[in-house]
Amino acid sequence: MKTKLLVASCALLLTWVLVLWKGLTTPQPVVLIPVLSGSAEYCLTCHLELPQISNSHPIETFGCVICHGGQPLALEADLAHSTMRGGDNPSRLDVVEQSCGGEKCHSGDMALGRDHIPRVLTSIQATYSGAITQILFSFGLQQENVARYGVRLTQDKDGNSLSGIMQLEAFSPQIFESSVTAAFAQNCLGCHIGADPMPGEEYQRFSGCAACHTPILGSKQNGAPIHTLTLAIPYSQCNTCHNRGNYDLRAMSFIPRTDQPSDRFHDYYQPIAQFVRCEWTLDCVDCHTRQEAMGDGDIHSDQKDIQYVQCRTCHGTILEPPLTQTITHAEDLALKMAFLNPVINLKIGDTILVTEKGEPLWNIRLLPDGRYELFAKASGQRFTFRKVMDTACQQNPLEQGSRYCHQCHAEERAP
Amino acid sequence: MDPHRPSKRPDFYLHLHPPTIPARQARFRYTLGAGGLSVFLTLVLLVSGILLMFYYIPITKQAAESIQRITYLVPFGFWVRNLHYWSAQLLVLTSLTHLLRVVFSGAYAPPRRLNYLIGLFMFATILLLDFSGYLLRWDEGIRWALVVGTNLLKFIPLVGPSLYLLVLGGDLPNPSSLIRLYSWHIFGLSLMAVILGVWHIFRVRRDGGIAVAPAAARQSHARISRFELAQREGLAILYGIVSLSLLSLFLPAPIAPPMSDVSLASTEARAPWFFLWVQELLKYGPPFTMGVLIPAMVFTYFALIPYLFPTPQPHELGEWFPKSGRMVQISSAIILFVIIWMTILALRPAP
Repeated sequence: MKTKLLVASCALLLTWVLVLWKGLTTPQPVVLIPVLSGSAEYCLTCHLELPQISNSHPIETFGCVICHGGQPLALEADLAHSTMRGGDNPSRLDVVEQSCGGEKCHSGDMALGRDHIPRVLTSIQATYSGAITQILFSFGLQQENVARYGVRLTQDKDGNSLSGIMQLEAFSPQIFESSVTAAFAQNCLGCHIGADPMPGEEYQRFSGCAACHTPILGSKQNGAPIHTLTLAIPYSQCNTCHNRGNYDLRAMSFIPRTDQPSDRFHDYYQPIAQFVRCEWTLDCVDCHTRQEAMGDGDIHSDQKDIQYVQCRTCHGTILEPPLTQTITHAEDLALKMAFLNPVINLKIGDTILVTEKGEPLWNIRLLPDGRYELFAKASGQRFTFRKVMDTACQQNPLEQGSRYCHQCHAEERAP
Repeated sequence: MDPHRPSKRPDFYLHLHPPTIPARQARFRYTLGAGGLSVFLTLVLLVSGILLMFYYIPITKQAAESIQRITYLVPFGFWVRNLHYWSAQLLVLTSLTHLLRVVFSGAYAPPRRLNYLIGLFMFATILLLDFSGYLLRWDEGIRWALVVGTNLLKFIPLVGPSLYLLVLGGDLPNPSSLIRLYSWHIFGLSLMAVILGVWHIFRVRRDGGIAVAPAAARQSHARISRFELAQREGLAILYGIVSLSLLSLFLPAPIAPPMSDVSLASTEARAPWFFLWVQELLKYGPPFTMGVLIPAMVFTYFALIPYLFPTPQPHELGEWFPKSGRMVQISSAIILFVIIWMTILALRPAP
C-alpha cells in the first residue's frame, strides 16, 4: 500500500507541475480600456499587429468592441468572435446602425454632417431603386418612371423629401409574376453596396461603408487582414462595381468586359466614348461629391437625379467663375475633411471651391494668381487648372453637359 | 496498541471511521467507492466554489463577463472553475452510482430505510445544485434551462406558480432571478446538502455501518482496520485529484456569450446533460405529464422501494443482486434504461 500511495503522490505532483506550467505559460491579456466605453477589452492580446483603422478612429478612444462587437474578455477566438457584428465587416448595412451609428458618430445631425448612415441607407447605391425602377418602367410593369421599390423597405425618416418619394417597398419578383422580374432578381439584384460582390478578383470589395471606404485591391498582400477606412478612395475601388462590363436587357444579364486595360485611359468601359483628361487622370472622388456617392437623404428614382457635378462646377462658364467659399472658422466641414485625408494643408482664410448645392470641394484651393490647385484625394498629386472665363472658350453657358466639352477637349481612344 | 497512550489514539480523521469494517464489503468492486468519492467531490466543490465566489458577480449584465474574467484573467481561474465544473458533473455520476449500488444490493432494507430516503433527497439536492450552478453562467448556453426548464415548475398543480416565484423572483426570468438562483446555490441548497450529508454519514454509523449479512450467514469474517480504510481512501483521493486536475486542464467547462434577451426561446438550446431525458420526454406529450408527473413518479418510485417491495433477506445483505430484490432490480433497470435511452435520443442532432 505504501508503494501505491507513493506512486499516486508522484502522479499528483506531476499533474500539479503540469497545472503550474499551464497557469504560468498562459499569456496574460493585453488590456485596453478605450475612452468611449471605459471597459476592458483583451482583443489586442491577439490583434496587436493590426494597423489602426483610421486617424479618426484612434484605438485608445474607440477600442475594438464599440464597432465590432464580440466578447471583449474572451481569449479564445471562437468565443471572442462569436458575437461580432457583421462577421469581419461591422459596416454591413444590416448592422451598420449598431456598429457605426449614434448621435455623435454617423447617424447624427444632418446640419453637422453626421447623417452618413441615413443618407447611405436611402441612397441609390444601397436601395438599388434606380435599376429596379428602370426595369419595371421599361418593361411596362409600372406606369411612371418613379421609384416604388428598393431591395428592402426604405423610408425617408426625416419626413421631408425634395424628390417627393417617402417610401420604397421591398422589391420581390413574385409581386409581378413576370419572367423579366424573375430574371432580373436572379441575375441583377445583388448589384448594390448591401450585397456581397460577384465572384472574381476584380469584383472583390466589402459591403456597406467598407464597399467604398476599405479598398481591397492592392491591400491583400501577405494575407494580412485589411483594417482600414479611408477617404482616399482610388478609382480602382469604384471599378469593383463600375466599368466592369455592360448590360443586356433582352437576356437580362450582365456581360463582363473581356479586355485587359493597360492604363487609366483604357480602363473606362465605354468602347466608343471620348474622355477629357480630368476623367481619366483624376480619381472618381476628386469630382463626385459626398452627396452624389452617399446620397442626400432623399429617395431617388435614377442616378441622374442625384448626380449634378459638371465640368463647370470647377471651371465655371464663360460668364462666371466657379463658386468659391472662404474658410472662416475651425469647425468648417472642409477643414474636417482635410484633417481626415491630409492631402492638402488647408487653413482658415483659404478659399476653396463649392458646388451649387454648397458641398465643399475641399481639395481644390484658389491660388493668388487666379488659378486653382487640386490635390488628388487618393494619390495626393497636385494639379493646377484655370477657369473658363476670359479664355478662348465660346461654349454656351446653358449647354454644359460633358458631351459639349468633349467636342473640343476629349482625347479619342483607339478602339 | 496501548489505548492509554494518547499519541497512539486515532486522530480526528481516523476517528470519523469505524474501528474495523468487513473486508468483503470494503472492496472497491462492491462499493465502487461511490459514497466516498461523493464526499471527496463535495469537499472539492465547497473549496473551489468559495474561491469562485471571490470573482463571480451575480448580476445579469456582468455574470457571464465575470466568468470570462475568471477564465481568462484570474491566475489559475480557469483551473478552479474547471475543477468546480468537473466535480459537479462527476458528483452526479458518483452519487447516482452510490444510489444504484444501494438499490441493486438491497442495502435500503430496514433499519436503513430512513437513511436511504435522506440519501435520495440529497441526490435530488445535488441535481438542483447542479442545475442552479449551471444557470449562474447566465450565458447563451443556458437558454433551455432558464426558459423551458424553470417553466416546468409552473405546471406543478396548486403550488407551481408560487414555487416559480420562490425560485426565480418573478413571473418571468428577470434580473432578480439571478440573485435568487445564486442565493439558492451558495446558501439554501448547499446548506441543505451539507446538513443532509452529515446526517447521512451519521446514520450510516448509527445503522451499524455498511449493510452486511448477520455474522452466521457471512461468507467471510475478515475485517479491515480504519488505518487500512484511511489508506485506501487516501489513494482514492490522490487519484481523484489527479483525474480532476487533468480533466480540468484539458477539457474546459462550457462558456458562451452573455445572454442577450432572456425572453427568447431557442429550438437549438439543450438542457444540462442530466435533464436531457426530461427535455426529450417533453417532445412526446404535455408539459405536466412529461416534465413534472413522470420525473416525480420516478422519484416517488425510488423513495417507495423500501416500503412497497419485499424486504431483502438479512443473509443476502452485503452482496450485489440479492435474489429477494429481483423485482426492485428489474424495475429499476428498466427505468434506468429508459432514462439513458431518452438521453441518447436527446443528443441526436436537431433535424
